[in-house]
Amino acid sequence: MTKLSKKRKQFIVVSLVIPLLLLVGFVVVPALDLLRMSFTNWDGYSPDSDFIGLRNYIAMFQNKDLWLSLKNNAVYFLVHLCMIPVELAFAVLLTGKLRAAKFYKTMVFMPYIINGVAIAYAFSYFFSPVNGAFDAILSGLHLESWIRSWLSDPKIVNFVLAFVSLWRFSGYHVILFMAALQSIPSDIAEAARVDGANAWHLFKYIQVPAIMLMVDFVLFDNIRGALQVFDIPFVMTSGGPGYASSTFTLYTIKTAFSFSNFGLASTMAVAIMIMIVVIYIVQNKLIHGVILREGKK
Amino acid sequence: MAKRLTIQALKQIICLGMVVIVLAPILLTLFAALKTKADMATTSPLLLPPLERITFENFKEVLTDKYLLIGFRNTGIILVVSLVFNVLFGTITAFIIERFDFFGKKLVVALFFVGMLIPTFVTEIARFRIIQGLHLYNTLGAPIIIYVASDLMQLYIYRQFISGISVALDEAALLDGCSYFGLFIKIIFPLLAPATATVCIIKAITIINDMYIPYLYMPKNTLRTLTTFLMDYANAQQGSWQLLAAGIIVIMVPTILLYIFFQKYILAGVAAGAVKE
Repeated sequence: MTKLSKKRKQFIVVSLVIPLLLLVGFVVVPALDLLRMSFTNWDGYSPDSDFIGLRNYIAMFQNKDLWLSLKNNAVYFLVHLCMIPVELAFAVLLTGKLRAAKFYKTMVFMPYIINGVAIAYAFSYFFSPVNGAFDAILSGLHLESWIRSWLSDPKIVNFVLAFVSLWRFSGYHVILFMAALQSIPSDIAEAARVDGANAWHLFKYIQVPAIMLMVDFVLFDNIRGALQVFDIPFVMTSGGPGYASSTFTLYTIKTAFSFSNFGLASTMAVAIMIMIVVIYIVQNKLIHGVILREGKK
Repeated sequence: MAKRLTIQALKQIICLGMVVIVLAPILLTLFAALKTKADMATTSPLLLPPLERITFENFKEVLTDKYLLIGFRNTGIILVVSLVFNVLFGTITAFIIERFDFFGKKLVVALFFVGMLIPTFVTEIARFRIIQGLHLYNTLGAPIIIYVASDLMQLYIYRQFISGISVALDEAALLDGCSYFGLFIKIIFPLLAPATATVCIIKAITIINDMYIPYLYMPKNTLRTLTTFLMDYANAQQGSWQLLAAGIIVIMVPTILLYIFFQKYILAGVAAGAVKE
């Protein structure tokens, strides 16, 4: 390590002290507190709580509604994962030569900037069984037989909600990919083209490596997002009918703030954290393994 | 030549399809907001009412709701304060992590990384007690401090930008007698402007859109934000889709305007991503 001058040290300490304090006080400490609370039966208001060992963990694994909720999270995760190549393709399409590209850029990002609660209500109206626009579209196409109760049929409600989630969040990923693509200096692409690289080569050897950091972020964002789906089902169905469209986070929040079981809810929160870390590491290993092997060929 | 035209046409069709999907739910909601209660039942949800029956009464009713104004004010305050601190802390933290080696750096980086891993919603179960302990419950301070302390996505964006800025710039400035703070404020911070624009837009949208933190920490009705106002409004309008539709459109407008106004900063920021020597 290089020797630090006094001024350098001063600069680093002064600059980092507040961000670090905030991080520790409002993120790290609560996270550790969750771990502690997961071994207690705290109800959210009593001054005391008892240490109950692993009882919350056992209760969590035996909770059928929670498993059902987790299965619903998987729907969001997979639907969004399938969209990532499409999002990347859109980013490449919109950074390339395209008439009205600017207008399309504006449009593709627009759902992300619109208020989530507002759009959840708008889609509730869109899929509403009374005067709903989606049913009207199907009728217009003479597909009346396809009409379902979109938001109350347990078999399809999660896919409808995942579609709303896609509508909202895909554009964000497109814009992130575009930012990464455009950070490639144009002379590199030109030099490659002069050397005879075609569009596929350009994509594979220049664009993909350059956007790996962003791909990393998007994949990670997808896991975090999928495990934390909350406001779309919260507003549109409140997790219903029953727990058919509940998600892990929605169920956890309900356990704490509606059923006053902060201990059990903390256990679930710890489980979410562990899942995020494990999936992140596995996904990272897979992605980097594949890309590095490709690069070595 | 023909092949190229076909490809161009295909690209346009794909993009137009995307535009239709994006606009449909918004336009259909707008149609509903312009209808009378009677027309809601008798006209197709895919069409506007006959021109002479278009009504602005639904909008009038929403816009004269006093809690809407309160919502605007509260959202504005939370937004401005949170953004200022987010940019300040985000840029300097990313700069130090990218450019300096120091004792305990690995721990600091690990802490921030862990901060990004920790899920936001469920952390509230433990954070709730801390916020209450600091007497921030039912104050604007609760969302502000949470938005500043958590959600650290800006570090990703700033670090990527800083790694694209030549270190030669730092060295030259320091040789010229510039202090570290001077280097950061006069040289690095301005160069990060495109990234800052992007960060601000994404953060602003996240904050305006956030329902959960205001919902959880500010149940008092004078502390409504735009989003929690809409939730109250929706509960009060059970079944009157035309009124709720007007509310939805009104709540959508600020972010759409913000987007149109700031869009050139996003696009310029994105285009200026390639910071060259």
